[in-house]
Amino acid sequence: MTALPHAVDAETPLKPDELQVLRSQYEKEGDMVGVQTKFNYAWGLVKSNSRNDQQTGVQLLSEIFRVSPERRRECLYYLALGNYKLGNYGEARRYNDLLLEKEPMNMQSADLRRLIDDKVAKEGLMGVAIISGVAIAAGVVGGILFRGRRR
Amino acid sequence: MAEVHKQMKRPGIQRSMFSMAKTTPTDLVRSKLSTTEIQSRALSYLSDDLLQNIPDDDNNYSLFQGFQASFPELSEDGKRHRRRVSRGRKMIEEQPHAPDSPQHLHKLKKERASFLHELEMLGVRKNMASSEIREIDNKIANLAGMRKIILDRLAGLEQEEALLEHDIIDMEGHIEDAQMLVDEAESIAAELTPTKDDEDDMVTDEDADEFMSKSVYEKIPSANSTPARPKRHKTIRRKSMPILHEHFEPGTAIREIKAHTDQITGLDFDMPFGTMVTSAMDDQVKVWDLNAGRCIGLLEGHTASVRALQVEDNILATGGRDATIRLWDLSKAHYDPQGTYEEDEDGLAFENKDDQPVDPPAGSMADCPLYSLESHVDEVTALHFRGDVLVSGSADKTLRHWDLNKGRCVQTLDVMWAAAQASQSLGSGDGSWRSTSRSSSASADFVGAIQVFETALACGTADGMVRLWDLRSGQVHRSLVGHTGPVTCLQFDDMHLVTGSLDRSVRIWDLRTGSIFDAYAYDHPVTSMNFDDRRIVCAAQEDVVKVYDKLESRQWECGAGITQAEENKTPAIVEHVRIQDGYMVEGRQDGIVGVWTC
Repeated sequence: MTALPHAVDAETPLKPDELQVLRSQYEKEGDMVGVQTKFNYAWGLVKSNSRNDQQTGVQLLSEIFRVSPERRRECLYYLALGNYKLGNYGEARRYNDLLLEKEPMNMQSADLRRLIDDKVAKEGLMGVAIISGVAIAAGVVGGILFRGRRR
Repeated sequence: MAEVHKQMKRPGIQRSMFSMAKTTPTDLVRSKLSTTEIQSRALSYLSDDLLQNIPDDDNNYSLFQGFQASFPELSEDGKRHRRRVSRGRKMIEEQPHAPDSPQHLHKLKKERASFLHELEMLGVRKNMASSEIREIDNKIANLAGMRKIILDRLAGLEQEEALLEHDIIDMEGHIEDAQMLVDEAESIAAELTPTKDDEDDMVTDEDADEFMSKSVYEKIPSANSTPARPKRHKTIRRKSMPILHEHFEPGTAIREIKAHTDQITGLDFDMPFGTMVTSAMDDQVKVWDLNAGRCIGLLEGHTASVRALQVEDNILATGGRDATIRLWDLSKAHYDPQGTYEEDEDGLAFENKDDQPVDPPAGSMADCPLYSLESHVDEVTALHFRGDVLVSGSADKTLRHWDLNKGRCVQTLDVMWAAAQASQSLGSGDGSWRSTSRSSSASADFVGAIQVFETALACGTADGMVRLWDLRSGQVHRSLVGHTGPVTCLQFDDMHLVTGSLDRSVRIWDLRTGSIFDAYAYDHPVTSMNFDDRRIVCAAQEDVVKVYDKLESRQWECGAGITQAEENKTPAIVEHVRIQDGYMVEGRQDGIVGVWTC
């Protein structure tokens, strides 16, 4: 049994009723909620496809991080994973790199770093493409206008 | 999943190209522009300080393992595993034969693996449970610590409050005196020539302390000598409500006072940590400051022991063996509560249960007597007053209804006559006087208990009956039959009437229907009972007070019999008990008064 889930695991959402089970457990314990229950719910939320759920999940994870120091190290990974799913690559990298620094042999973490790099690269390329496209368009329009002015 | 895999196949060139970029443009845009994004980021952001402080984990299981173990059906792995287990078991049942085939061996091995897996899961779950328990224990310890700190703070605040309150009372007294002097000076000045006006004022102001002697002082009592409640009554009353005792464990001793040398015959107090009055077989009536545990003074006037007494605000009514009822104004006592606090160095009023009461100065209660009501011809065994109405029950077999404004008896209710009337009009033995089967009734008081509310009067008598009277008509309008021994105590609120009797039982009646609402019995006759909104406390000839928790429907005991059991001491039997807002006072046969939280 692995101690940490693979990044792939975060991409498979739970069924709504399964998530409901976790949620009701979490709500039942109220203010005195235990770390495990909180994590269960948070993890269920992170696995979800809804961006809102994912955000809530990451928030819960950061609460766990704050409240229970003994869980901080593993929480780093979940936080990185959650932020990765949210597309907050900056944050994800921040947490993941910190974890890798502490545990250089951590397979899952290394995988996650690769995934983040990939995502950043891909979306970065797209961003460059878009920006350059916009720039060209602006240049063309500007040119036309400029010419029109001169005429 | 497919997406992830596609990512993995991407060429490394791109990766290297953008790896220096920390994040993507969309991420940047989102983090700067969208408000909800910014909000949620702010909420989940962890500062660098926190990130610096990451202890090595020594957990038996990871959170993810915990997740898998508690919800095996939610993870892929678990799903497969479940299926496998059930299928495997079925197969064993279905194919018990062919034990020699290699297939079978394989299956068995698989089976073993799955069992091992299950065992591992169980181990994790066990660890989870135990660590959760540890977590909760820690929380409880934390909370208990916090509670203690706050309790201490509350105690400190209450102490400060009490001190300040005494200062205020002092100040009010000074103001009143000064006012009196100013008034006096003005009236004198008015008689004299107007030119000397200023001078006079100055003189009186300066000499305020010295001047408040005889001539002025004599005017205060004369202004307040009417039986109607004088204005100065507020002085002894506390403005704030002590709540500290509510936070103690039920059954905690607050203090113990060696009040008398003989059996306590009556006790009452006005409010938690307020003023208590006790009377005993030694014919003394003593007034106590419950906050300091100090005797304020002795009330002298009764020529025999006081059987019944009640404190309301600062008015005290006592009824005794000498057939008189006396009214006292406790606010007129000369008592300096300030002095107490110098003795209590440690501040907490609860911690010095052992200090012995200091003898009050003689004559401290000289101004207290208001007047006495003398019409009964035999000892007064029960009394109760509310507002201006006082009712008393006596061994002369009558109840008397007094008007405190006029200080006069308004009507006399003859219990025997009323009983006879009731039996005639009802045509049954229902309301008539019955002699109880108990032999003890001979020694019991004819009127055991009485309580009045405006025009409604309830009294419990030695025949075991509880009669409800209408003071306007002077007639019994309902009789509650049930007790088989003399009724010794009685109290009602807006819903229920609770009675205790020498037949050992406590009965709770529904006031509207007159039917029994609840009843329970103890091992010994009930001699005293009192209730507040939550508890019914009884003295049942034991060294503990019997407590019935109405909310939890739970019986428990509270008192010296329990706390002193370890020391092999046997405290005296509790004779009288009073409770208010969880603050209980009990008086015993050896003259000791115990104060408890309940």
